[in-house]
Amino acid sequence: MFKRTLRKLMLALILVAPAAAAEPLVFTAIPDQDETKLRERFQKVADYLAEELDTEVRFVPVKSYAAAVTAFRNNQVQLAWFGGLSGVQARQLVPGSEALAQGVEDAQFRTYFIAHESTGLEPSDQLPEAMEGMTFTFGSKGSTSGRLMPEYYIRQQFDAAPEDVFSRVGFSGNHSRTIDLVESGTYQTGALNFAVWESEVAAGNVDTDAVKVIWETPTYADYQWTIRGDVDERFGEGFKERVREALVDMNDPALLASFPREGFIPASNDDYQGIRETARALDLID
Amino acid sequence: MTALALEQISAAYGERRVLGPLTLHIARGEKVALVGHSGVGKSTLLSLLFDKQRRDLALLPQDLGLVQTLSVFHNVYMGRLAAHSTLYNLANLIHPLPKEARRVRQVLETLDMADKLWAPAGELSGGQRQRTAIARVLYQPASVLLADEPVSALDGPRAASVMQALTQRFETSVIALHDVELALRHSTRIVGIRDGGIALDRPSERLSADDLRFLYDVAAPAA
Amino acid sequence: MFRSSSPTRQPVMRRSATLRTSVGFVAVALLCLAIADIQITTVAPWRELGRLLTGMVTPDFSNPAAIGTALMRTVAFAFVGVALGASAGFLLALIFHLRVVRTFCAFVRAIHELFWALIFLQFFGLHPLTGVLAIALPYAGVFAKVYSEILDEADPLPMQVLPAGTGLISGFLFARVPDAWPHLVSYTAYRLECGLRSSAVLGFVGMPTLGFALQSSFAQGYYSEVGALLLVFFVLIATLRLWVRPWLVPLYVAVSPLLLGTGLPIMWGNVTRFFTEDIVPAPLRHGEGWAALWQWFSDLLLNEALPGLWTTVVLTQIALVGTGIIALLAFPLISRHFTSRSGRVLGHIALVVARSTPEYLLAYVLLQLWGPSMLPAIVALALHNGGIIGHLIGRRSNEMTLRPDAAHGLDRYAYEMVPRLYGPFLAFLFYRWEIIMRETAILGILGIATLGFYVDSAIQELRFDRALVLIVITALLNIGVDSLARTLRRRLRLRHMVNCEP
Repeated sequence: MFKRTLRKLMLALILVAPAAAAEPLVFTAIPDQDETKLRERFQKVADYLAEELDTEVRFVPVKSYAAAVTAFRNNQVQLAWFGGLSGVQARQLVPGSEALAQGVEDAQFRTYFIAHESTGLEPSDQLPEAMEGMTFTFGSKGSTSGRLMPEYYIRQQFDAAPEDVFSRVGFSGNHSRTIDLVESGTYQTGALNFAVWESEVAAGNVDTDAVKVIWETPTYADYQWTIRGDVDERFGEGFKERVREALVDMNDPALLASFPREGFIPASNDDYQGIRETARALDLID
Repeated sequence: MTALALEQISAAYGERRVLGPLTLHIARGEKVALVGHSGVGKSTLLSLLFDKQRRDLALLPQDLGLVQTLSVFHNVYMGRLAAHSTLYNLANLIHPLPKEARRVRQVLETLDMADKLWAPAGELSGGQRQRTAIARVLYQPASVLLADEPVSALDGPRAASVMQALTQRFETSVIALHDVELALRHSTRIVGIRDGGIALDRPSERLSADDLRFLYDVAAPAA
Repeated sequence: MFRSSSPTRQPVMRRSATLRTSVGFVAVALLCLAIADIQITTVAPWRELGRLLTGMVTPDFSNPAAIGTALMRTVAFAFVGVALGASAGFLLALIFHLRVVRTFCAFVRAIHELFWALIFLQFFGLHPLTGVLAIALPYAGVFAKVYSEILDEADPLPMQVLPAGTGLISGFLFARVPDAWPHLVSYTAYRLECGLRSSAVLGFVGMPTLGFALQSSFAQGYYSEVGALLLVFFVLIATLRLWVRPWLVPLYVAVSPLLLGTGLPIMWGNVTRFFTEDIVPAPLRHGEGWAALWQWFSDLLLNEALPGLWTTVVLTQIALVGTGIIALLAFPLISRHFTSRSGRVLGHIALVVARSTPEYLLAYVLLQLWGPSMLPAIVALALHNGGIIGHLIGRRSNEMTLRPDAAHGLDRYAYEMVPRLYGPFLAFLFYRWEIIMRETAILGILGIATLGFYVDSAIQELRFDRALVLIVITALLNIGVDSLARTLRRRLRLRHMVNCEP
């Protein structure tokens, strides 16, 4: 009884109830890149999905990787474009949720280690020992290619925690920012998503005299679309499969280029077993 | 030679004229007492004089202008801020130099205040506070004194000795007083204010207390 | 007779105690500075600053709809949050003598708005309620305390002369509230300004206020957009008195809830889950027993809480002294004893900018300019809080009259002003001590390893059990500093000033 009164009270506070028409499918994405780019990209995806699925689709931007996972877990969004680690976290928190599709590149994803020219570091086939004692920035704390995998390889190479290897360790927030910070020399070195690097370089946004790639990691599975298990009950039988088909069928070059991915292929939870084990080894998940 | 002069000056609070227009010349060496009932404009006249000329002049306002959180030493030393470099002043603020402390103590001794040298001004009694401010003007290197009721919080004998010290120390002085006896005794010239103007201006030696009584007579017909 | 007992002993002691305390604080800060990391690590620290300043003078207002919406939401969140906080605070003030109420209020206000927002985000998600409660809850704690102090200070006489049998409420309304009313209003108005700042900063964690747009523009280096947003915000704060009129306030409060936006629907099951699962320590959740819990807790304490605590304290002490220095340097800018009328206008503008730029934002900017060390945080905290205290003591100096022949320049500053203002200055500074510490913790979210850094990490790892323990530790630290500051204020007999609370 009390609970109901409380709930009413809260609702009275909220006042504006969203139009109670047919429920829209709401999705989000980890903010791994510049927000304008994300909005642009995912607005196009929303329009595409709305047409394919014949239902209202809405994109909600969030400020952190954790916020994306939380919104998914709280059922405020039903579909999300996650990184490897955030996807593992999300699926662990929402039983029944599934990895639907990944980019062609995501099965073979890599991390680039980059360095400012003043460090004198040159490209090599392993993480240079000379990095020890320099400053280093990850991307977001919850990023796979910007945190999890680079930390894993740093530990492998130096047999020590990043805080002990480098004189200073930072978290830039996202991959674009990592490029900026290393390019400007705020940090001497950094690690980021190879796809973001390639597309920023192609777009001419990077001063390649000031910053360059010094090492790339072996491949691992990364980004994927993950959907909640209860969408069929909510949006009708077979909804999940229709979403998967729509994603895999996406072939508008402009849309794909904005990710940037060549196309999408089906994925499964098992594809991310490796990520899961790495995260557990680094004590990033329980 | 004229030390201070006002020519056809008046003062007003908003629309209401409180003083003047009046003309007043004070020669060097004169010890002037300003008398009149309270609220008649003595303080206003003093501030007009002050605004006219600020150099070579020591001011003792009615509310003293002490800094409560500083010691008596500092408050007295402030009389000579202008005579020293800022650096020297800052040094004295942080760590009073023995030389300065000795000088200030000498001034305080004449006022019976030497034991309060390091007491914060905020902790003093009314009379002590007034003596601190007096010490400040005595310490100030100036030849003209403008003082507003400088001894209002002091008892009879001490008031007399302080008045003595003030008029001796300054070549020229203009002191507002409500005590007619004190005014007559410690001045060479009496200026009486009434109804916004100078109602009386004569050498003190030719006046008695009775001559000044009309200044305090509220019921007197308007001039 | 009763006076002669004190002048001999106390006065000298009290003065030197004030000085001794100040010197002690400076010494501690210098020690902290010696061990703190304050390197500038960027190669071209001024290039980015140049770009930022260029952006400030070439503001980009090309998207008025977006700026307008962000502005409207900022105002709406502030009004709803502060109105709820003030109402709840007023009710709590009536029963503030109860220990449990006092403890509750001390606890909720010891947790920063951003931490509250991060907590509410976990179960309300991106819903306006998250932002509203993140403001309302800590503000209620502050309002309760200050309102009760104001009511206590009201003249007790009218209450005593009321006819016997006067009802409790009518007695209160007639005899207590009217006397306290102007103070209640002025304090509430002051908190509204704080509320606007808080509201803007909540954008950094996803609320649709100015901070949201600011962070996006900043992260992408769109400095002209940043410039436009900042200018709009400064104008909003500087003109507060013009557009917040007493008769308009009810209108604002009534309309604001309609302007919060809708966000995403709340799922109520999440609330239960948060309290019954998320914040239960992992070992207990997994049924690993008390020994495992102890292990979990001591790991958390040793690896995160203690290092975070240490950095928080070091940074706070440096920032506190920095704040004092900035305040003492800045107040002459707006003091009529030092600056001409036109100069004071510029001084006021400088101080408005310093104090209305949220320190979180300032630290974020400086971090981009100078690279990751404590320096950006120190400077941001000192500028923001120094701007506030400089404003307060500058205003106070304008209320003072000096004797007409008082010294000028530095002599006037050192002999006439600073000694008179030092008491209030220290009182203000001690009031801000706890606030500076709370803000220090929050700056951890930007990557400086204070407690906020570990809280943010725990939340990023979706480990709310750890986050909660760390937040509680932060709150206890704040409560501890607050009571230390109170003790110092009492010992130094710094006069109580209600209107300078947070």
